[in-house]
Formats: sequence, structure tokens, C-alpha cells
Amino acid sequence: MSRLASRLAWSAFVVWAVVSITFVVQTVLPGDPARMVAGAQARPADVARIRARLGLDRSLPEQYSRFWGRLVHLGPRNARADTDHTSCAVVLPLGAARAVHVDFGKSFQMSQPVVDVLVARIPRTFALALVAMALQLLLGVGTGVLAAMKRDSWLDRVLVSASLLGLSAPTFLIALGLQLLFARTLRWLPLDGFGSDLAEHARSMVLPALTLGIYGAAYYTRLARDEMIVLMRKDWVRTARAKGLPEWRIVGTHALRNALVPIVTAAGLDLGALLGGAIVTETVFRWPGLGELSVKAMLNRDGPVISACVIVTSVAIVAANVLVDFAYARLDPRVTGPREGGTR
Amino acid sequence: MLGAAIVLALVAFAVFGPLAAHHGPLQSDFVRGVSPSGTPVGPNADFPLGADRLFRDEFARLAVAGRLSLFIAVAATSIASALGAAVGIVAGWYEGSRVPVDGALMRFADVMLAFPFLMLVMAIGAALDRTSAITILVTLGATGWLGIARILRAKTMQVRGLEYVEASRALGQSTPRVMMKHVLPNIAGPLVVTATVMVAQMVVADSVLSYLGVGIAPPTPTWGRMLFESQDDVMSSPWLFAAPATAILLAVWGFNMLGEGLRDALDPRET
Repeated sequence: MSRLASRLAWSAFVVWAVVSITFVVQTVLPGDPARMVAGAQARPADVARIRARLGLDRSLPEQYSRFWGRLVHLGPRNARADTDHTSCAVVLPLGAARAVHVDFGKSFQMSQPVVDVLVARIPRTFALALVAMALQLLLGVGTGVLAAMKRDSWLDRVLVSASLLGLSAPTFLIALGLQLLFARTLRWLPLDGFGSDLAEHARSMVLPALTLGIYGAAYYTRLARDEMIVLMRKDWVRTARAKGLPEWRIVGTHALRNALVPIVTAAGLDLGALLGGAIVTETVFRWPGLGELSVKAMLNRDGPVISACVIVTSVAIVAANVLVDFAYARLDPRVTGPREGGTR
Repeated sequence: MLGAAIVLALVAFAVFGPLAAHHGPLQSDFVRGVSPSGTPVGPNADFPLGADRLFRDEFARLAVAGRLSLFIAVAATSIASALGAAVGIVAGWYEGSRVPVDGALMRFADVMLAFPFLMLVMAIGAALDRTSAITILVTLGATGWLGIARILRAKTMQVRGLEYVEASRALGQSTPRVMMKHVLPNIAGPLVVTATVMVAQMVVADSVLSYLGVGIAPPTPTWGRMLFESQDDVMSSPWLFAAPATAILLAVWGFNMLGEGLRDALDPRET
């Protein structure tokens, strides 16, 4: 229990630090958000008014405390009914009248509450992340096990070199290659976008998911291959063979199960990164998720949206780390203390 | 050795390519760069890789962009390696001792790992109106040292207890001197290998930034921007797309292979 508590406290600290760094980076860098909101032709008086409204004319510590005070605060149960809480989202109701609010402010560019933008986009990024994860595990573990079974054959060599190529090919080249083949040449799938109904969403998701799947699979191919080669030499595998078990059962139920520990660890950490939005892939395919949102926000210097993206991403990564730590302890009874460092 | 050959070829291309080109990278040629139908010319003797949308020599642009990309990647890697080596050696040296520097550094690394880097780099790139090569390479270098620090910390922990380190300490050498003279040279192998592979990652990071439009501003040619500009014409003039794509792939592949080759050469035990 104390381990859980200390792990959670540490995670909270990491999130706090990341949010604070974001605040500092944003405030310290040149570039004037008030000017961005007002537009290039605005009169100085209007810019000053907007600056005051955004609180950008105050001292740094004051801006910082206002920033946190706004980010998480107490408010009425029904947030949007209150004029002071128009950009808030209720995350935790406390009794009938009060609730914990999260407020990322209003987007400079889209003039709507950032939480609304996030609520629309997070499910799309999550869906893409889950499908991509499933693909990369299937592809990666499948080829890794196959390579390990056919060790030192031509198939093994082909798979290992392909995985090195996959590891070194940047996502945007894989993405552009898939676009070229399946959208521009064969015209089987849409080039980019999101579509307007469920069937179109699914069709639009194929190429981005495949991009992330191919890119990620390479790592799992190597991981699964190395693990399986070690495991297949174990005594209990020899015993299983001596018992006359069919090969697929030895591989499937005996060896692969033991290879799951490092694979699950890596997958958990990966999922955290994917949930934060695959920036490049989402941008190439114009998939309207968190990653694409963050690029847009960067180009428009939309401060509230940038902070929100950074916070959501780091929370996803930290949460995945915590989950992996506990899954790890569950999967491998030998693990008791916290794991030293990350695996990657 | 294939890796070394690819890297050498790329470096030669970046160094001599701009000299071999018949045109400047920013120069639009509305006479020789235009085909009879009015579109940019395809590959020919004058324009080895054809002309781009603005009738500029793709070959010259590719070579100049290569200079820039390789320079940024190598410089960023040097910054990251220096930072990573300093942090890693100090943290590894004091690991488990009463000086709390290791804990602090590794906790800091935890925070940095949870930080979406691409966003940080993009934020800095977007905030500075006109992004220069220096901004990009400093940002990439300042954010890329984590991996190197972790590896060198582990290696330092292996080396610090060895006899020659103990001997030099017994002889009264100061800690910084022992670190520089005895620890660093003995962990230089992994450092060189990691740094070589990192150059590949830096080439990718740099092209991603310019592809997304937050890297070095046009008209300066970059591989990422050239890809972006040619992606919609890929069916009509595939060479404009293939050239930067091949360049990026070769650079990444070459530096990765060189890294693996160096690992095998420097540490025969790990093969």
C-alpha cells in the first residue's frame, strides 16, 4: 500500500513538474499571445485590453498561481450554468452542489473552451492508439516468434533485416509510402481526413493505424525474437518436448507466456506515448486527434491548447508507467520493489 | 562497413554536391527549368533531379539541404553527448553514495521522460518567429541527452570500482580528474556507439520539424520541407518526392548500420 502511495505521489510530482515547465517555456519565450488573439492590425489599446483580460500583464508568480488556480478548482456542480465557469469541465462531483473543475481556458484561435476541443479529440486519438497497439503487437510478436522458431534460416534473416529497416524508417516516410501505394496508386483507401460516418472513420483509420503498427512492430519483433530464443533453451521446454507435446503448444503455452512480461512492459509504455497523440502520423493523415491538434496549436501559438496537449500527454505517459509497474509485479511474482528506470 | 560507406557517400554528396550543381539552390530558372508544356522540367543533364514547383534545381536543393541536415544532426548529437556524458558520469559515480546528486539527476530524467519532446521543440520553434539552424540544433541537443546519460550512468557504475580507478584515487587524484582521465576513456566506446545511432534520430527529428512547418523557414531547403512540398505531385513527378525520401532513409539507415558496426568493433563481447 505504501508503495502504491509513494508511486502515486511521485507521479503527481512528475505531472506537476511537466505542467510547470510548460508554463515557464510558454511565458519565457518571445511571441505575444495577446497580439495573436487581437490580430496583426489591432490597435494597441485593444491589444492591451486583451492582454489584461488574459492576465498576461501580471507578474510571473502571479500568472503562475492564477494558472494553477484556474486549472484545477472547486465550483458549482453544474459548471456551464455559472457565468464564471463557462470553460470548465466537471471531473469529480463533490455532493449535490459542488464539484472539482478542470479548466484549460478558451482557445485563442477557436474561441471555444479547450476542454470541449479535447473531449471531441481524445476519443479519436484513443481509438487510433488502441488499433495501432493491437496491430503492432500482432505484427511484431508474430514475426518475432516466427523468426525465433526458424532461427538462422533465410526467413529469420529477412525478418531481422526488415525490422532494422522498420526501426530506422521514420514514421512520416512509412506514412507517405502507404499513402502513395494504397491511396494515390491503388485508390483503395482515403488519402487522409476523418470521414463523416462510422464506416468512413474506419476506412480513414486503416492507413494511420498501419503506419504506427509497422513502425512499432519492428521493436517487438526484436524483443520477442530475443526472448523466445532464450526461453526455448530452458529445461522446461525440453521437458515439454520430451513429453511429446506438439510444437505449437510448447511455443504458445510454455515459452510465449514467459515472454509476455517484457512485451507487456514495453507495450504499456508505448501505449502511454500513443495515447498522447502520434503527432507526425496524425498530421500526415490529417487525423483530427490530439497530435494534430498540438501541431495546429503550435503553428497558431494557441497557448491554452498547447498547455492542455502537454498536460494530457504527460498524464497519459505517467499513468501508463504506473500501470506497467503494477502489471509487472502481477505478471512476475519475483518483482517486489519498484523497477529501476525505464526499459527504453 | 556498408554503414560507413553510406555515411561517407552522404557526406561527400553534401560537401561536393552544391559545387557540382549547375544552379543555386534558391534560384528559379524560368528558361532552362521550364519544359515545353510549361511545367517544371524532369531529370536531365542540366537538372539531374529535375526542377521543383518553383523551377529550382532539385539536385542543388537536395545537396544544400543535406549539408544543413547533417550539420544540424552532428552538432545536436555533440551537444546531447556532452550533456549526457557529464550527467551520466556524475550520476553513476555518486550512485549509492551520500551525495544525493544521482537521485536528483535521475528524478529529473524521469520528469523529462514524461515530457512530450516534439511538442517542446515545436513550441520553441513556433515561438521564435524565424527558426534558424542554431535554434533547431540547440533545442534538439538540449532535449536529446537522456538516453546517453542513462547508458553512461550504468557504464560508469561498472567502471568506478575497478582497480585502475581505485589506484588513481589512492594516488590522490581529484575526483574530476579521475572522471576525465580514467572513467571517460573507458566508457568512450558505448558513448561513440550511442552517439552514432543518435545522429540518425537527429536527422529524423530535423526532417520531422521541417516537414511539420516548424523547422528552418523556407526558402532554405530542408529534406523535410522538400518532402512536404512534393507529396501532392508525387504521381506526376515522383523523382521530386523520391529524392528527399531516399536521402532521409539512407542517412538514417547508414548511421544506424555504422553504429551497429562500431558496437561490434569496439566491444567484441557483446556480439
